[in-house]
Amino acid sequence: MDQAYGIFLYIISLLTMGGIYAILALGLNIQFGFTGLFNAGIAGFFVVGAYVSAILTTAPSARHLGGYELPVVVGLVAAMVVSGAIGWIVGRVCIRLRADYLAIATIGIAEILRLILKNETWATNGARGVSMVPKPFETLPEPWNQLGLMALVLSIVAVLYFLLERARTAPWGRVMSAIRENEPAARAAGKNVEAFRIQAFVTGCAVMGLAGGLTAHYLKFIDPNAAEPVTATFLVFVMLIIGGSGNNKGAILGAMLIWTVWSATELVTSRILPDDWAIRSAYMRVFLIGLVLQIVLQRFPGGILPERRLRVAKDKKRYN
Amino acid sequence: MMKSFLRATVAASLVTAGAAGAWAGEIKVGSVAGVTGPIAELVVPIVAGRNLAVKHVNEQGGLLDGDTMKMALVDSQCDPKAGVDAGNKVVNVEQVVAIVGASCSGATNGMVQSVTIPAGVVALSDSATAPSISELKDNDLVFRVAPSDAYQGAALAKLAIDAGFKTLAVTYSNDDYNAGIAEVFAKTYQELGGTLAGNQMHEPNKASYRSELATLARGGAEALAIFAYYGGSGITIIRNSLENDLFGKFMAADGMFDASVLEQIGADTLRGNIFITQSASDYGDSSYKAFADAFTAAGYDPVSPYAAHGYDAAFLIALAIEKAGAADRGKISAALRAVAGPPGTVIRPGEWAKAKAVLAGGGDVNYEGASGNVDFDSNGDVSGIYSVNTVGDDGKWSTKLIE
Repeated sequence: MDQAYGIFLYIISLLTMGGIYAILALGLNIQFGFTGLFNAGIAGFFVVGAYVSAILTTAPSARHLGGYELPVVVGLVAAMVVSGAIGWIVGRVCIRLRADYLAIATIGIAEILRLILKNETWATNGARGVSMVPKPFETLPEPWNQLGLMALVLSIVAVLYFLLERARTAPWGRVMSAIRENEPAARAAGKNVEAFRIQAFVTGCAVMGLAGGLTAHYLKFIDPNAAEPVTATFLVFVMLIIGGSGNNKGAILGAMLIWTVWSATELVTSRILPDDWAIRSAYMRVFLIGLVLQIVLQRFPGGILPERRLRVAKDKKRYN
Repeated sequence: MMKSFLRATVAASLVTAGAAGAWAGEIKVGSVAGVTGPIAELVVPIVAGRNLAVKHVNEQGGLLDGDTMKMALVDSQCDPKAGVDAGNKVVNVEQVVAIVGASCSGATNGMVQSVTIPAGVVALSDSATAPSISELKDNDLVFRVAPSDAYQGAALAKLAIDAGFKTLAVTYSNDDYNAGIAEVFAKTYQELGGTLAGNQMHEPNKASYRSELATLARGGAEALAIFAYYGGSGITIIRNSLENDLFGKFMAADGMFDASVLEQIGADTLRGNIFITQSASDYGDSSYKAFADAFTAAGYDPVSPYAAHGYDAAFLIALAIEKAGAADRGKISAALRAVAGPPGTVIRPGEWAKAKAVLAGGGDVNYEGASGNVDFDSNGDVSGIYSVNTVGDDGKWSTKLIE
């Protein structure tokens, strides 16, 4: 096989996983970027979506609940519904908590969700995970199978971007940033702050569930290790903050950029370093992400693409 | 004169360049391991085992026409997401001929299903033990030199029957490794005619297991089968059982095999009362000794878990490339089966030059590895060797192979 063709296939895989991370970052942007909700339990909503879609679409297996063999689309919709529903229950209980308290509560909830999935062996096969999950377009010949999945993921990113951009510029989005910037003022303006915060939380969780479902189909396998906080929560925050919290374009850019750094740096280290060093250099990647975060925040305090204020100047002129 | 001199120089350099192309080649093999993540400490000696095999190959003539074997190491983090990413990198960018790895069962499951099976690349894992990997529709592209947990569970069940235990209680720690062995153990034990007086999961790292054990003891079992890591819950379970006189005899799998069990409970208390199976190499075997000497010289401990398997996996891939006669992905699977089992001249760890000579002469080889005979069954699994450990007269573990 030709080297250039190999790199082409690798770029497809980068864009596929990068696209899934972009969906996660967009979900977090609704919560953290628009509304200022510090959800540190991304991994939990992500992994619930992954399991729901995996169980609904796989062939019968004695190891776990399932055998429904539903189409992937149904699995993905169900993943959004279930993650959103759990988000609603969590939101009802925790949404009044201020930023850092909400973070602590959501970390705990992510851990509870992971432990439930790990212990309810009858449904999830416990720590051994759900295998042989169908992958869309997998029957097509290479490279069309990989291109097909990439196109599916990227078009979901595009649709989400369009919808969220509409939501952001609509009055709904303005209320969200009002709540983030000055909650008492928003309340004084007659807005039902709790209801709006729950709406943002549930929408974000549903989007994270969608990303989880796509991951299960892409990997063809899901186990509780996929809810590991470094790659499922921490990395998503880094992506959003570097890209530009509050800016949907920034969320997508940050996800693609950081995923490329995360994945492709290893190609360099494994080539130029001897194996003894390559083992240590794996840890360097975590350090590198931290360093990139530091530099970006020093240079661009609002991220690479900072949030843009909505233009209200025209209206002002009229009232002056 | 000048012209002919030039012509000669050009011709000579062309010949040299052509020859250089023939002998200075590099054949890449993927080395996918959980370098960071929950089993990071275990992975260092495993990767060292793989690299030792590569060193032996390159020192003794290299692959094919003297090509260098090169391992492309990537991190699978014990996470299926990272496993798939790692697989994409070695298959597409590094253009490897075959892959050794991944380490954890989850990462292996994701990597082979999403990347290597569709791409037609052989993956030979040295430490993934989940039974579900045997069931994949893999076009004969997924192999393991690490025995599936299914075999150890069955070996222990047979041992229990042979030891005369008719009723047993089972307790297992809720992690992928121990839960898997316990499941197979319970099933095989009942099939062989044993009765289970109780079968309970427990969460590791609790301060006490008295209530769980009291429930299990009510069934009237003759002994307790423990599937746990000694540090996580195993030692506490034995101590609680003895203190409360709930169980006096124990059977366990290799998660419990450690000197600290004897130090903390007391060798005299356990003598004659505990049996632990372990996925072992045959330490008396000359294949194991050849590996152990070289690995010790390289500065590593040869009994490190799965280090011998790592050596065997890398060595087998090298043999398969040599047998196939080309760095051709499509030929590795059949060649791997041919070199791993009989018939053929027996090759042991470190004997690369000998294997190369036999294969060059058109003969067959049969690799007998440091971790066992590595003969693959129809699923690409090996049955593995197990030992049973009891307490010896000197107060230390006494190890005997199970036939």
